[in-house]
Amino acid sequence: MSAPVRERQVQPRAELGYLSGIRTIFKLEILQRVRSRGWYMFLAMWFTVIALVVGLTALNVGAQGRGTGQLMFELVVAFVLFFGLLIAPALSSNSITGDRANGTLAILQNTLITPGQLLLGKWLAAWVTSLGFLIVTIPLLLWAMTYGDIYFPAVPGLLGMLVLELAIVCGIGVGVSALANRTLFAVLISYLLVAMLGLGTLIAFGLSMELVRVDVKASNQEWSEENMNGDDAIWDPNDYTCGTTLYTQPAYATDRNTWLLAANPFVVVADAAPRPVLKPGQDADLIGPMGGISEMVRSSQAGIANTIPCLNGIKNLDTLPEKSSPLWPLGIGLQGLLAAGLLVAGRAKLRTPAGRLATGTRIA
Amino acid sequence: MESTVSSPGSTTVAQTAQNTGISANSLARSFGHVVAVENIDFRAEPGKVTALIGPNGSGKTTLLLMLASLLKPNHGTISVQGIDPVSNPRAARAVLGWMPDTLGMWESLTGREILTTVAALYGIAKSDAATRAQELLELVSLEELADTPARVFSRGQAQRLSLARALVNNPAILLLDEPASGLDPGARVQLRVLVRQLADSGKTVVISSHVLAELDEMADAAVFISKGKTVRSQTLAEAGTQIRGYTISVLDVTRLREFLEAKNIAATYAQDFDSPRGSAKVKLASETEAAALLKELVLGNIAVTTFAPSAGLLEETYLSLEEGTP
Ligand SMILES: Nc1ncnc2c1ncn2[C@@H]1O[C@H](COP(=O)(O)OP(=O)(O)O)[C@@H](O)[C@H]1O
Ligand SMILES: [Mg+2]
Repeated sequence: MSAPVRERQVQPRAELGYLSGIRTIFKLEILQRVRSRGWYMFLAMWFTVIALVVGLTALNVGAQGRGTGQLMFELVVAFVLFFGLLIAPALSSNSITGDRANGTLAILQNTLITPGQLLLGKWLAAWVTSLGFLIVTIPLLLWAMTYGDIYFPAVPGLLGMLVLELAIVCGIGVGVSALANRTLFAVLISYLLVAMLGLGTLIAFGLSMELVRVDVKASNQEWSEENMNGDDAIWDPNDYTCGTTLYTQPAYATDRNTWLLAANPFVVVADAAPRPVLKPGQDADLIGPMGGISEMVRSSQAGIANTIPCLNGIKNLDTLPEKSSPLWPLGIGLQGLLAAGLLVAGRAKLRTPAGRLATGTRIA
Repeated sequence: MESTVSSPGSTTVAQTAQNTGISANSLARSFGHVVAVENIDFRAEPGKVTALIGPNGSGKTTLLLMLASLLKPNHGTISVQGIDPVSNPRAARAVLGWMPDTLGMWESLTGREILTTVAALYGIAKSDAATRAQELLELVSLEELADTPARVFSRGQAQRLSLARALVNNPAILLLDEPASGLDPGARVQLRVLVRQLADSGKTVVISSHVLAELDEMADAAVFISKGKTVRSQTLAEAGTQIRGYTISVLDVTRLREFLEAKNIAATYAQDFDSPRGSAKVKLASETEAAALLKELVLGNIAVTTFAPSAGLLEETYLSLEEGTP
């Protein structure tokens, strides 16, 4: 063998920057998504369904006074959140199992990309894709704004939390995808986890009711003579005093278990948005789905003080806390922990050279 | 040969410049109860094509995965260009090119996009990546399909793209897992020429296969593995001096039999149904002996139509190993 061995051309070794690695994976994912035609049809269908629902709602409630715009706005937010919870796990769950099945994961792992960069790139891509569902509804949001009755201080909270919730659901999906060996399994587990947040929190809350049942000393409400006999216009339901005969009555101290609802995505979004404060004598606007959830959570947080008008002979209006502490930081914290835990575990699973492999899986 | 190029912050460059090829010692790897690699010693020299030969399931892919820094050995040491891929996988990956036996690709991307994406993952700047992609597409003659989605590629085209992908970072070490399976004869010849060129430019090329005939013509050395163990390492030059089987076809097999029996050469014979034609298989110790026998046959007026080794060089070793195992 006397082939002239040419000097191997030594290139200055290119180092892969952290962000540039993430960007490349992100581009790779997005490029594949935008190339698929089914994706556009899906977005179109999505837009049509939401537009129909929102349009019909506008027609139905349009005549009933103030709040139509707010109602439509909240309806779009609730829809995007609901379908986001249904679609985002499916979109993100195959991001790594798909590559694994396709044989492209090992190719990526054999380059200079690190597992962390790979996961972050895939997560960002899944998130941006799911934001597509929010972006196509922008015309509907603008339409809602033309009614001129949207409570603007709540808009950043609602939209910001919605975007964050989608990020968390995508993080769960991508993390599970890195851990699972097969797409079907990954989709299943992601759905279970998302259902745990969406429905599991409600079930846990319901089941815990028995645990917070207490006996309280209540008494009757008594209204003054003139309030009772006056006409409806001056009837004031809060103008009562409490009777002195106390009797025992069961009640639910929901102030102790409402936190179980914190990790519910709808509760997080609704709770993070400020509610309009009613001026005295002002009629309440129509209430949208997010506002409704927010009020229910607030009253549940108030607990017995809210449900028993006369507790220990004291009028509850005197004891009702001014403002309940917000639940959403706890919710976002719990969800964030779940997503981060899955992503960190997924990163360990993607590390090569691989030690143990799950039975029945190959690297290539 | 020191070939450090002075470039800013080039400590890593100096590290890769030691062109030592691959050496692996007493590697073992099992998956649960399945022992895929039991004890493999492997060496591959720079500038040479080393064939990795073994039957299906003998552990070739597992060995290549360990060399490619994707799988951790349970036991044993590996050095690629002086780098340990287990403790320093990123440095190893910078000098490695690996072509898997599965041909998965990002199907909606074009060949060019695939190559530039992979280049970006090696930290190659955008303009350089575009040039590199064009070079490689020409190298594997896929220029015409460069901007077609990989989904429509035929198996052979996908295989060539996969080879180009393995070359993106201009690796000093090239690991090819069954690169020729599914290729048509023309593409095989092309692959052979290309692999030869790559080795001649100083790269360490490892090529696994169970199709032995094609390896004969491009390999410089061969490592035979069976059931996860190295059973023999040899160079092709060594293989040339071993005992080989030859097939001699003649117009009259009876005359050939008389001739060989007179010379005390053991052989097995086969004769056509309807004519005196036929052939004999003999074992000869060396190529010189073969040349001498042919000369005698011709001088002895035996009408020889073909006189050739029954099997390729590597196949011969392979078969002798099979015989050796009970
Ligand atoms: N991830 C894995 N899990 C379980 N068994 C495996 C795995 N990878 C390989 N094997 C087994 O190890 C043996 C060697 O496989 P492989 O290296 O793919 O052989 P080859 O490439 O030589 O055909 C086979 O018996 C195979 O079934
Ligand atoms: Mg194999």
